[in-house]
Amino acid sequence: MISAEIISAWFVVLLTLSIFSFLYKDNPFYKAAEHLYVGVSAGYVAVISFWQQVQPNLFGRLWPSRAAVDDGSVFQSFWYAIYEFFNLISTGFGVLDRSIFPKGGIIGFGEIRMIYLIPFILGIFMLLRLVPKLGWLARWAIAYIVGMAAGLRFYGFLNSNVLNQIKASAINFTSDWGTIINSLIIFIGTLSGLIYFFYSTEHKGVVGRLSRIGIYFLMIKFGASFGFAVMGRISLLIGRINDLKDYSSSEYHYATPVILIFIIICLAIWSFIGEKDRNESIA
Amino acid sequence: MDTIKRVFISLGSLDRRIIFLIVGLSVLIPLLKPEWVSLPIRPRPESQIVFNEINKLNEGDKVLLSFEYGPSTKPEIHPMAIAILKHLYAKNIQVYGFALWPDGNFMSTEAFSEVSHQYEKEYGIDYVNLGYKPGAEAVVKGIAADIRALYTVDLKGTPIEDIPMMKDVINVNSFDFVFSLSAGFPGSTEWVQYACDPKNIPLSTGVTSIMVTDILPYVENGQILGLLAGMPGAAEYESLVEAELKRMDITGIPGKASGMMAAQSIAHVVIVLFIIFGNITYYIIRNKNGKDKI
Repeated sequence: MISAEIISAWFVVLLTLSIFSFLYKDNPFYKAAEHLYVGVSAGYVAVISFWQQVQPNLFGRLWPSRAAVDDGSVFQSFWYAIYEFFNLISTGFGVLDRSIFPKGGIIGFGEIRMIYLIPFILGIFMLLRLVPKLGWLARWAIAYIVGMAAGLRFYGFLNSNVLNQIKASAINFTSDWGTIINSLIIFIGTLSGLIYFFYSTEHKGVVGRLSRIGIYFLMIKFGASFGFAVMGRISLLIGRINDLKDYSSSEYHYATPVILIFIIICLAIWSFIGEKDRNESIA
Repeated sequence: MDTIKRVFISLGSLDRRIIFLIVGLSVLIPLLKPEWVSLPIRPRPESQIVFNEINKLNEGDKVLLSFEYGPSTKPEIHPMAIAILKHLYAKNIQVYGFALWPDGNFMSTEAFSEVSHQYEKEYGIDYVNLGYKPGAEAVVKGIAADIRALYTVDLKGTPIEDIPMMKDVINVNSFDFVFSLSAGFPGSTEWVQYACDPKNIPLSTGVTSIMVTDILPYVENGQILGLLAGMPGAAEYESLVEAELKRMDITGIPGKASGMMAAQSIAHVVIVLFIIFGNITYYIIRNKNGKDKI
């Protein structure tokens, strides 16, 4: 019997082998899998961002459940009339079921937070990039994001990456010899590495020699990174091959061998037709 | 001597597809025939530190487990997630799942459903999965400040007020330990910078191989307690947890990473050999061309 698990296994095998087919050369299988991957990823992130953040945390704060905040004021009636208007638009004027704006407000928060109108408006500005005449408004939203991120990161980096790391590169001469030698290597590596990137002075004499030592430390770092990168890629290859091995069993109706043969035949035909076309164009 | 040189020169001009095939076979054969290659797994000090730190936790402690990886890095990180969950559940520690990556939702759901069932753990009492929120470091900062300002419902849509184990949880200070399963940005670095360093909460991490050199300075400095580095790190942790479970008389399904280590080792040997051959060929050709010029 064909179950959802078997169908998804066949999909997994088809997409994995399509991506691997790039090792032969760029081909339609690879292109299709690549486009599908990009499209699905973008779509998934957009949907999940909306339902996990925009709907509960933005709309939910602007229009919380009316039962929790109702004070019978005219303003509130007007405010929830806007909510109903948005609902009308989002449901295609009543054609679709209510989902984004549930009846009576969004459950979660206990008060209306008008300050959230600012991110709401900035979010709309961001979308205005699609309108050429009003696209400049998106710069305000981008400026806010850049400013906020710079401020947020400044503290994090200053505390954890600068101050704590400087503290860590100090040598504790009261510890054992092994630790002292280790600390000395880290100290020399840090100092010479920084000197290599110091371009205000010509790299000659002592500065030149220190920057040369810095290069060696940097090369060791790049070598270690390369080694780890290879290790990571091999791990991913093992993961894919392990899945392909599992899906080649009778339980999955021999998905791997069947799709592998199918792709090889298709690629052979595709290459043959391509070769023929090239020969004809040369002639 | 000339014959050897010719062999190396011909090796240097090998079609790249043959190299791909050899690397592929070096991975496939140990996976198909694991009994042919049996290699011991010895935990490195960084993995041992992670194990010791988690083992130090007491029954009823709260651990924040953050899922910052997706299917593309699953073979490296997922076995760590499974082993960590087994260890935490065996010690009856409460687990709070978060995700900083959208795909983290799939990974956390899969890991929780696989291990919680084995250990008969109840959702909302022993573990909770709060899911993903977009915002990268802002989310970490939000968890450090006030979880309820960010999370009103869990991944299943249950209001967090209705989840028993969320009762006393306010922010990152409510946790006894943070473990980040990280494959990039946002990940371990953000937990260090925005939550665990400022609030002084113990943090350990399991990362992809490619991230190891970026994370090691934090480990050396004690900002992160130990490190599980890629698939070997996962295999080492699995072996430590399996020994601990045996000691506690708990039987379970063995982890996946240990079974894949033979393939990893053989593939590494093959790649190192190719690098050596490539360098020898390069020097032979360079010397030959130099002589030709003279």
